[in-house]
Amino acid sequence: MSGAGGLTPVQAARAAARRRRWREPTALLRLGVLIAWALLPATAPSFQTLDLALKIALFATLAASYDVVIGYTGIVSFGHAMFFGFGAYAVALAVGKLGAPTYGHLLLGFLVGIAISATVALVIGAFSLRVKALFFAMITLAFAEFALILAVQWSPLTGGEDGLSPKLPGVFAAGASGLVGLSGRLVTYYTVLAVCVGCFLVMRRFVHSPLGRTLQAIRDNELRAEALGYRTFVFQLVASSFGSVVATVLGGCYTLWVRYVNPESALGIPIMLDVLLMVIIGGIGTLYGGIVGAAVLLTARTLLPNLRGLGATVFAGSEILQRLSERWLLYFGILFVLVVFFFPKGVLGTLREVVARRRRAATPEA
Amino acid sequence: MRRAVPPLLGLLALLLLPLLAIEPRAWLTLTVAGLAMGMLVFLVAAGLTLIFGLMDVLNFAHGALFSWGAYAGFSVALLVNGRWGWADSPSVLANAGLLLLAVAGAVVVSSALGIVLERVIVRPVYGQHLFQILITLGATIVLEELIRIAWGPNDQVMPVPVTFKGSWDVADLVVVLRFPIIAIALGAAVYAGMWWLLHRTRVGLIVRAGVENNEMVQVMGHDIHRYFTAVFAAGSALAGVGGLMWGMFNQSIRPAMGGEQLIFAFIVVIIGGLGSVTGSLIGALLVGLSYNYVAYLVPKAAIGVTMAIMVLVLLVRPTGLYGTGK
Repeated sequence: MSGAGGLTPVQAARAAARRRRWREPTALLRLGVLIAWALLPATAPSFQTLDLALKIALFATLAASYDVVIGYTGIVSFGHAMFFGFGAYAVALAVGKLGAPTYGHLLLGFLVGIAISATVALVIGAFSLRVKALFFAMITLAFAEFALILAVQWSPLTGGEDGLSPKLPGVFAAGASGLVGLSGRLVTYYTVLAVCVGCFLVMRRFVHSPLGRTLQAIRDNELRAEALGYRTFVFQLVASSFGSVVATVLGGCYTLWVRYVNPESALGIPIMLDVLLMVIIGGIGTLYGGIVGAAVLLTARTLLPNLRGLGATVFAGSEILQRLSERWLLYFGILFVLVVFFFPKGVLGTLREVVARRRRAATPEA
Repeated sequence: MRRAVPPLLGLLALLLLPLLAIEPRAWLTLTVAGLAMGMLVFLVAAGLTLIFGLMDVLNFAHGALFSWGAYAGFSVALLVNGRWGWADSPSVLANAGLLLLAVAGAVVVSSALGIVLERVIVRPVYGQHLFQILITLGATIVLEELIRIAWGPNDQVMPVPVTFKGSWDVADLVVVLRFPIIAIALGAAVYAGMWWLLHRTRVGLIVRAGVENNEMVQVMGHDIHRYFTAVFAAGSALAGVGGLMWGMFNQSIRPAMGGEQLIFAFIVVIIGGLGSVTGSLIGALLVGLSYNYVAYLVPKAAIGVTMAIMVLVLLVRPTGLYGTGK
């Protein structure tokens, strides 16, 4: 039954949300963050800062794409870094191994990477999601390990442990001066940033679409969604493949920026743990939480070597204390467990909850 | 037990098929190594599958318990060998004593850790799969880092008793490595013990009933949480023993060994079916044997073949060979 203005209640609620969109304080916040990132190259004191900033943007988007799978669909995948690696390797191979690099090769790399990822994601999903979403965690872990071993062992193609360092085409190359006198680095910076923003917009659209809402319904109660007539298997398959494809695109961008790819930096389980940690710290099921998580984790990682040096001088006397100060992963692990226990919603999720509670207190009716 | 027949036939075919490509003596060595590897993976997978079947918990920390068992056993073995020289002495009795003490050390440490894990970390998140995975993953990171702090980040050489080193020559024809035989015997004993415990005792009956329907067991007046803790501790102990034996098998141990083994165990549990101990045994033997045969014939394809088996099994039986589809 449609309502008074010919709108269903859902449509009315959506229209109201759309009208409110630009009046939300977070919209300005998002815009501010974007402007900060865009202006950073003009003010950045060193390449290191620029590198950190872009990596935060890249990994924030990667964490968001993982959030689509884990937070919005509720399936745990350990293969997300693998899909990221597929993209990274596809671009590196297409640009580096097919003769002189051209834009065509770059495009080819992205397309091949996306095709491979989509196929693999569909196949893995078809095997594992049919029975139980839990299978997915185990099977993706096995596949990720397999991909890692493959990348290490198949050295004629992948360069083994040493990896690949492709030369980039045209305006992306290091010394080249691009369109408006920007150096190759800066062109790459803005290109990757644009891709990240694009991915964010697409993902935002995805999770707020009717499809995305169905996914959240499945996450919250799979049986109920099934009883309502949704083929949960198909929806989960679509979501995991979508997240994987976004991760692949970002992997390609990673190669574009770093100009180097090896199994450890693009495929390994540690990358997977990082991304997982970013999502958890930022807030599961918030999409933008990845930005917070990536910023916290990557900044900490950049500053930690200094701290380690400090630890070595302070605890010079005791070996155990020195080891304790060296094992920063231990503290990440403890932090991880504590966050899961006490802030299961992460930074952004907890903030949103506080804001929502305050709003409810302000308008008791509604 | 008609369901048991096809997988067993498959196993038999797998045992004999490689004879076409491998000469008999190498085949025997590989078969022994494969069975031993299978049995060791079984020790890990059995605990994992029982914990899953009973409590619906996917325990990612199982691999860390495997490493902890190996390191605890290593410390005991080092201590005993340092004081009485039981590993280097030619006496079979002393050698066996060292092995027993090391196993006891592994069992005590990893089951104690298992109890702590279950009580502190896993209990608050029963029924929430996502948080279970996350929290046991966090526990894995912490436990593995603690090993690196306590024993250092590098590989350690595991002392192996003399009796179990080297090989037996059977009639000057076949050379059989000794340690794999011990591992196979241990694995078979554990399986027999578990089968007896699960099918011939009251505790086993309750645990099996819990796997089937744990609310009903609670309604019947049993404190299911006590069984949860007990099964978790037993599973952890098995993982610890598996770690120790794996360390002796390779004569070295590393902090990350558990994580690598966990992936094998996952594959085995998926092949066998979640919650089935017999399924885990069959799955583990399948994986162990095929891994060794293929590693001999085409070294680089070894990991791939275990994945291929998993995918094949899932295609035919989506719940695994003995899975109930729960």
